[in-house]
Amino acid sequence: MSLKDHIKIMVVDDMATSRGLVINGLTELGIKNITYENSGDDAFVALSNAPVHLVISDMNMPGMSGLDLLEAMRAAPPTAKTGFILLTGSDDPSLVQKGIKLGMNNFIKKPFSKDQLQKCIERVVGRL
Amino acid sequence: MDSMETIKQTFFQECEDLLQDLESGLILMNDGESDDETINSVFRAVHSIKGGAGAFELTELVKFAHIFENTLDEIRSDRLEASKEVLKVLLQSSDTLTDLFEAARDDVEFDDTERADELRAALQGFIGDKPEEASDDGGMPAMSMDDMGFEPVILDFDFGDDVDVAPDAIVFDIVFTPNATMYAHGNEAVRLLSNLAELGDANITCDRSTLPAFDDIDPEGAYLSWSIELETEKTEDDIREIFDFVEDDCELQITQRGGAPEGGPEDGLPDEDSAETPDIAIETTSEAPAMDNNEAVSAAPVEVASVEIEVKAEEKEQPKAEAPAKPEKKAEKKAAAPVQAATIRINLERVDRLINLVGELVINQAMLTECVVEAGLSRDSAVSSGLDEFKQLTREIQESVMAIRAQPVQSLFQRMSRVVRKAAQATDKSVRLVLEGEFTEVDKTIVEKLADPLTHMIRNAVDHGVETPEKRLENGKPEEGIVTLSAAHRSGKIVIEVSDDGAGVNRERVKQIAIDKGLIPEDAPLSDSEIDNLLFMPGFSTAENVTTLSGRGVGMDVVKRAIQSLGGRVTISSEPGKGSVFTISLPLTLAILDGMLVHAAGQTLVIPLTAIVETLIPKPGDIHHMGPDGRVLNIRGTFVPMIDVGYELGFRDSPTHSERSVVLSVETDGGTQSALLVDAIQDQRQVVIKSLEDNYGHVPSIAAATILGDGRIALILDVDNLVSSAGDSRASFDPTLVAAE
Repeated sequence: MSLKDHIKIMVVDDMATSRGLVINGLTELGIKNITYENSGDDAFVALSNAPVHLVISDMNMPGMSGLDLLEAMRAAPPTAKTGFILLTGSDDPSLVQKGIKLGMNNFIKKPFSKDQLQKCIERVVGRL
Repeated sequence: MDSMETIKQTFFQECEDLLQDLESGLILMNDGESDDETINSVFRAVHSIKGGAGAFELTELVKFAHIFENTLDEIRSDRLEASKEVLKVLLQSSDTLTDLFEAARDDVEFDDTERADELRAALQGFIGDKPEEASDDGGMPAMSMDDMGFEPVILDFDFGDDVDVAPDAIVFDIVFTPNATMYAHGNEAVRLLSNLAELGDANITCDRSTLPAFDDIDPEGAYLSWSIELETEKTEDDIREIFDFVEDDCELQITQRGGAPEGGPEDGLPDEDSAETPDIAIETTSEAPAMDNNEAVSAAPVEVASVEIEVKAEEKEQPKAEAPAKPEKKAEKKAAAPVQAATIRINLERVDRLINLVGELVINQAMLTECVVEAGLSRDSAVSSGLDEFKQLTREIQESVMAIRAQPVQSLFQRMSRVVRKAAQATDKSVRLVLEGEFTEVDKTIVEKLADPLTHMIRNAVDHGVETPEKRLENGKPEEGIVTLSAAHRSGKIVIEVSDDGAGVNRERVKQIAIDKGLIPEDAPLSDSEIDNLLFMPGFSTAENVTTLSGRGVGMDVVKRAIQSLGGRVTISSEPGKGSVFTISLPLTLAILDGMLVHAAGQTLVIPLTAIVETLIPKPGDIHHMGPDGRVLNIRGTFVPMIDVGYELGFRDSPTHSERSVVLSVETDGGTQSALLVDAIQDQRQVVIKSLEDNYGHVPSIAAATILGDGRIALILDVDNLVSSAGDSRASFDPTLVAAE
């Protein structure tokens, strides 16, 4: 079994469009186990019940933002080591810096191509 | 790329909501009623639109949203003050963004690039000449991820699988006891058990202890139960899914061996437990470094659940500590979740189908009632009382179904603020739109179909109602005109009012125009309200003021027709110097109507309750003859023309003079009263509207038809039309009625 069949990825985004795009991309990459949540808060709750290997979260969300989620994840033992990719609309360096400080594993700027998504994920978890 | 197309449609739908959020947020800010979350949500809206648009390469939209977003970001981070001037541009930008979106959605060329460029320049002006960072034509950021030195995550799958509680093999103890109903519904225990066995290693034992002696067995009874030991990677939910269809027909106990049930964490946290588990959990966190802790977790999946308990317990003890701040939020949310109104999007067709079915149900129930009456069953028989309950339920179902279609007029009203802004801009007037009752709920179809007439009325109010700023100041009014749009439920109807504080209807001119156009005779003795109502006449267009704005060949008569097609009516009242009020009253629903069942010339007819003012039996002395056919009725001193419904519809050859006739006093759109003469009133009830046009063809004076309890068809009267066509034959009586045809 390759990594594609095995890896569990959670997509977190409040916007159905953006969520759909990521999930669509992941599906096209052949990822089998994809879950999603509509908010950082829900994602955090879900993660403590059913951990995943990698979280791809949007930055801008009502309630917990992407980085808020990252911070909370890193502070909670079960998710402290979970991979985290931030999905952003801008590549504001200060945002990226903040993310690095909090322990994000990569980021990807919208819009992205399938290849970009693949590369971005592979840098975090290895060859798919 | 089917899935992409689906996502695109989702995007367009989402965009509509976002644009609404954007506009209402900006309006809040403009009114000085915003807080931090307002600007955040406004920012998010534009940000998300840009993000989605980028994915579908809607470059114009992206370009505009980009600078819009940057401006909002400046405000969000307090680098730019949200002054009135800024907000004005922002509101206009939101309009243009909407236009751009609509062009993109409808796949047409955006035709106002000039304006978009203008606004972009204005927005750029606010945020200064900061070069647009990272050229907005997409592409990967200048900083590539290679430069960032991100740590890859090491995925240890042996380890990972332990952490993943879900796929770990867990033993469930399941006790399955079917009720007799399960078999009666055609479900087989064998099939369920074999499905269950497919989930993993199952050890099934049948419990026959309750099996009676052979002679005592009821062949349709249920005596067996099964205990299953299931070792599976699936969750409890997966197991329950198998029993989905028989849920109500069996007793099902599922316990996870060795601890809290998986997949139902809420249930798995009983209060007694939290008394002791937290101790262990807190110990784990405080003593073990992250890595060790993971091991502890991996050793027993049960402890993953306890980690959550720990979080909760800790937060109780020190709610202000920084670290638990987020989890606290999470816990709150969890508790609040059921209260939070969750929504789903449903295909409208399905809802309409449901509504149609409920319509059939209403008819069916009426038929049943009639059958019971015919059968001569007494009022207090079980059937009768059961039927009463059925009636009550039908009504409740009907109301609930109607509520599905109901939506607040808010979105519609908010669109109008845009109309006002555009109209004010085009006419160089200063106008503010005030919204009232925007949470009033109205049938979705009505909301949709109101958009055009309302837009027209609002434009009219700005264009013709509100005076120029100079004139207003001259008249001692504030420079800024106010157009008020309000909605309310009033006695079973929805009443929407468009009012302005302008000059009111210039009656002399309106009358002159009507005379010039030959719409009314020169010497027509018209009351003020009759003159005002001339505005709704076909062919009346105040030609003098064909402006770019209102003069689009659409008169108020079109507005009136649109409202009438919704079963509603529109009236105007105006006070010189103080303004005008247009009142639209609409039925709550388009599918079912409250009506009065009457007999006229052997026919059963339905008269909409909304039109009826009162019912009475006239005294012979109150009826006065006017001319050969005309009669008027004296109702408390007012003379009201009488219309014999049976005669008017051609059911009989001459008007009746029966003394037993009943009169329904009705009021038409124009505010004129008439007295409809019928033979008898049978009942007052809800009827399901069946379109005649769809099934037969248009019949003058008939609005629609319905099916009665006994299966007969009854026609629903179009009172306005009936009154005005009856008025035709009495030309001399009421000039407005003549004019209206």
